Amino acid sequence: MELNIKFMGETLVKILTGIPTTLEITFFTLLTAGPLAFLFAVARAENRKVAGRLIAGYVSFIRGTPVILQILFLYSLLPSLLNHLIRNVLQLDYNIFNWNPVIYAYVVFIINNLAVLTEVFRSALQTVNQGQLEAGLAVGMTKRQTYLRIIIPQAMVAAMPNLCNSTIGLLKSTSLAYMMGVKEITSIARTAAAYGYDYIEAYLDVFFVYLVLCTVVQLIFKGIEKRISVYKQRLAG
Amino acid sequence: MLEIRNIHKTFGGNQVLKGVNIKVEKGDVVVILGPSGSGKTTLLRCINFLERADEGSLDFDEIHTELKNASRRTVNKIRKKTAFVFQNYNLFQNKTALQNVMEGLTVARKVPREEAEVIAKEALDKVGLADRYGYYPSQLSGGQQQRVGIARAVAVRPEVILFDEPTSALDPELIGEVLCVMKELAREGVTMVVVTHEMSFAHDVANRVVFMEGGVVVEEGTPRQIFQSPREERTSQFLHRVNRDYDYSI
Repeated sequence: MELNIKFMGETLVKILTGIPTTLEITFFTLLTAGPLAFLFAVARAENRKVAGRLIAGYVSFIRGTPVILQILFLYSLLPSLLNHLIRNVLQLDYNIFNWNPVIYAYVVFIINNLAVLTEVFRSALQTVNQGQLEAGLAVGMTKRQTYLRIIIPQAMVAAMPNLCNSTIGLLKSTSLAYMMGVKEITSIARTAAAYGYDYIEAYLDVFFVYLVLCTVVQLIFKGIEKRISVYKQRLAG
Repeated sequence: MLEIRNIHKTFGGNQVLKGVNIKVEKGDVVVILGPSGSGKTTLLRCINFLERADEGSLDFDEIHTELKNASRRTVNKIRKKTAFVFQNYNLFQNKTALQNVMEGLTVARKVPREEAEVIAKEALDKVGLADRYGYYPSQLSGGQQQRVGIARAVAVRPEVILFDEPTSALDPELIGEVLCVMKELAREGVTMVVVTHEMSFAHDVANRVVFMEGGVVVEEGTPRQIFQSPREERTSQFLHRVNRDYDYSI
């Protein structure tokens, strides 16, 4: 067996056009789920009874089910449900099935990463000792001020390694969006490969692209971590 | 100036404070002594509401409140009249020494930045850290960190500073520098309530010593009364035992 190098080159170029979609899903998901997850984590850290329990339940439900199942479920359920709502309840003549499937990808990944990131931030908040919150209160700052100025900046530093991990996990799991008909890296490669059964070549391309993307993400996170953890470096400032 | 009456606090099933009264006048240095678990720290933490007492009332200048259901506003008012020095310093790790001292001024009291910086530098100079403004807590020794903690408390010009075993986490060599700073504050007339095991500090600096055990005040008086002629058997037992630790003859 020989690799079809020419095909590999052509496909790689095609795949590159899928990168913006992959990155878009990744970053939009992070930007939406991240801040909300932080609020969830604070609610849990603060021992809010009702909210804390609801969030804990949500997290364990999402983590306890495979992403692929969530996609299958949501992708077949949500459109029909919305369609029913629009046609029969609101009595509108509007075709929900014309929507760009990427919307469903956003929904699934946001729901999923909200759970993942809540846990990331919760563990990060726990690394900042309670004493600093007390110190903030004792000098007359409010809880909110202390969180914003003291606790959260330190929690962010502690969260970086795990945040990098989950970002990479998310980036890779966006490949599952091909199941929802989104034209991203993996789906483009599969479509290209289907013509001449050059799957191995196409998949090698995909490997390569993800590897490069994930390495870049890691480097970015390392850079950020170094920048925001100045106060931890022992050297005299 | 500050008076607390009949304070009660229970953790789980463990009754830590069983009706303690304490009164502090302006310029007082009150030292609270007592064995571990006697409720000294809890008492201190209840004064500025780091811990919510189950019962008891507090008078602070014109403020009168029940400890149990003090409103958020009252709590904040009292916290702004007091400052707290922690056993483990509890410095803000992501802020420099100078920023640590400035936070309470700029954020909590809305003092303009330039003015706050002048006050903060003054406070750090006073505790002998004029050359450490830009250092982060992780770059300072324990004694230096605690002195930043004291500067942070002094800078907000509180009516009373509460010290919770400020030297307990320090090794013997560093205790001296912290006690020196505290002595200096006492000399300047700063009102202080100090929980400590430093007998010499209690003896030389306090004008009132309170001995606590089992959640109640066993005895209180001037250092001379407490150290030389304690009325209660338990007090003399405790002092005898503690003092023996500092006396190397067996």
